[in-house]
Amino acid sequence: MTLTARVHDPRADDEPSGWAEFGARCGLHAVWDYGLMRLEAWMSRNPAVLGVVRDGDRIAAAATVLICRPWWRKPRYASTPTTRTACGWPRWAEVYTPWLSGYPAVVFDPDLTDDGRRAAVRAFERAVLRHVGPGLMGITYSPVYADTVSVLNRPLCRTWRNDPTTVLPNEWSTEDDWLATLSKARRTSIRRYARKIDRDPTLEVREGWGRTDTDPHELATLINRHRARLGGLPRDPRTAVAGAFLAELLRRKDVRLLTYRDADGTLLAANTLLDHPSSIVLQHWAALAPAEGGRHNLYFDCYLRCVRHLISAGRDELTSGRGLVDVKTSLGFRERELHTVAVPRLAVGAR
Amino acid sequence: MRWRRGYLRVVRSSFATVPFYRELWALGGHTDPVLLPGKAAVDGGAVVPSALTGRVGDLVPLAGGPADIDPWRGLGPVLAEHLAVTAGALVAVVDPTTPRPPVDLPEGVRSCVLDPAGLGGAYAGVFDEVANHLRRGERVVAVGGDKDLDQLAAALPELLAHRLTRAPVRAPDDLPSPVGPVALIAHPLLGVLGALGGCGRWHLDHCRVYLRATSAGAAYTLLRQRSPRLVDVIAGSGRPGLCPRHGTPVVEP
Ligand SMILES: [Zn+2]
Repeated sequence: MTLTARVHDPRADDEPSGWAEFGARCGLHAVWDYGLMRLEAWMSRNPAVLGVVRDGDRIAAAATVLICRPWWRKPRYASTPTTRTACGWPRWAEVYTPWLSGYPAVVFDPDLTDDGRRAAVRAFERAVLRHVGPGLMGITYSPVYADTVSVLNRPLCRTWRNDPTTVLPNEWSTEDDWLATLSKARRTSIRRYARKIDRDPTLEVREGWGRTDTDPHELATLINRHRARLGGLPRDPRTAVAGAFLAELLRRKDVRLLTYRDADGTLLAANTLLDHPSSIVLQHWAALAPAEGGRHNLYFDCYLRCVRHLISAGRDELTSGRGLVDVKTSLGFRERELHTVAVPRLAVGAR
Repeated sequence: MRWRRGYLRVVRSSFATVPFYRELWALGGHTDPVLLPGKAAVDGGAVVPSALTGRVGDLVPLAGGPADIDPWRGLGPVLAEHLAVTAGALVAVVDPTTPRPPVDLPEGVRSCVLDPAGLGGAYAGVFDEVANHLRRGERVVAVGGDKDLDQLAAALPELLAHRLTRAPVRAPDDLPSPVGPVALIAHPLLGVLGALGGCGRWHLDHCRVYLRATSAGAAYTLLRQRSPRLVDVIAGSGRPGLCPRHGTPVVEP
């Protein structure tokens, strides 16, 4: 096995050959689309680049990596790739998907053995080092599943457990079967909210795949406002959601947009659901706070609609990211362990 | 030239830090200066004001800043330069829409805002203040549209109306041959852009405003307003020129 690795900057480089085929083979979600990654990279402070490891011609592993500027510097978008050369400025690399908080950003061909995976990681890290230059301070993989930790871990590295992500395995054939497994109080409240929303003439609820009827900038504003209200993550490597990205994402046939609007057309809440042959994703949830004119309980209605798709389409699981674990547990979600592996500069590319 | 250097700086910094321009130019390109080689730009990367509707939040740089559009931005410096407005004067903005008084007047210059429709009603107190100022022989500069200024003048006693210094505003797409000695160029998003000079040419407030000709018309840039950032906003069809008498930038209608 001869592995070669290369970092592709979606802003400047063409789509790696065989990328779509690899995505299908590994069951990658919509957000791994190279065109979407290009938009994301342009609109980022810390642009995601794509590391691709090949065994011969065939892609064996891939990872999205955010090349991060120090968080204490004044925020600005990443410099244009044509002027970028590997430089001495401090940077670190986060193997992270800015759009899916509960999934690993490093993906291996399912047939690759653990030894193969270790070799792929080394090749990948050396490519990152070449791409970033001597300023690279280290690489973190966050999050990764428990079974990947042993592949990534080696002397000098540190690993720890993160907040878990939440997963609802599909064990039902009807929506009522699912509701029957919840506590009586939760079940009754979900039904009551759904009826109330249904009968409310001042509320317009629309859901659909590949929708183009919503202003993506309006949606971006709602999402960014929601994020700002929740306070965001400390040293969040992400940049505010850009309308241009959402415009492209929402156009996809495997992305469902759910919107709640007031009688005067105000966007009260919205949700994006990413379809997938097995693991569907409740991706964005954003709502106006009640103080801003928002409504209570749309959140539960959104979950009901997502579970409805899970069951009717016969998918294996619905994931809903980190946070609000208590509420999600009351809806039947379980925790899935997530870990971080931090690789300091000295261990980058080492055995 | 220094004027152009200031513009280049604003374009680069907007591309690097302001969401709206990042999106516009990364995907659509910008020429003169070329930001991304090989990318053809629609109208050189300039933007029509209607494209900014609902997007003012995206004109704020990533580091944060105000998101208020001030339609009277730049009024102070332009009045100071072209009408020698100095301490003691009262600037009366006559505007049925403006919610607040100008903020950049020279020190010692007072200001008030009047809705011409409410001179006898909600704005009666302000109107009296204007009249008293004129009665005392102090200078009052009234700024607004021709019709609005006419309404104010008509409401004043004839003697006082004559003492009023009128500074009518013109939109950048309405710069005819001058009818009076004084006129300002103003735009609802960009604020006050310049004024008619003694030479009869439309002088730009070039310390704060840059003008560039594009295929879609005249594109104005505010050189000093950090947030909300306004760059290459199309308004009217004027072209940049240089006043032979003053040697400073003008708009040629
Ligand atoms: Zn002149």
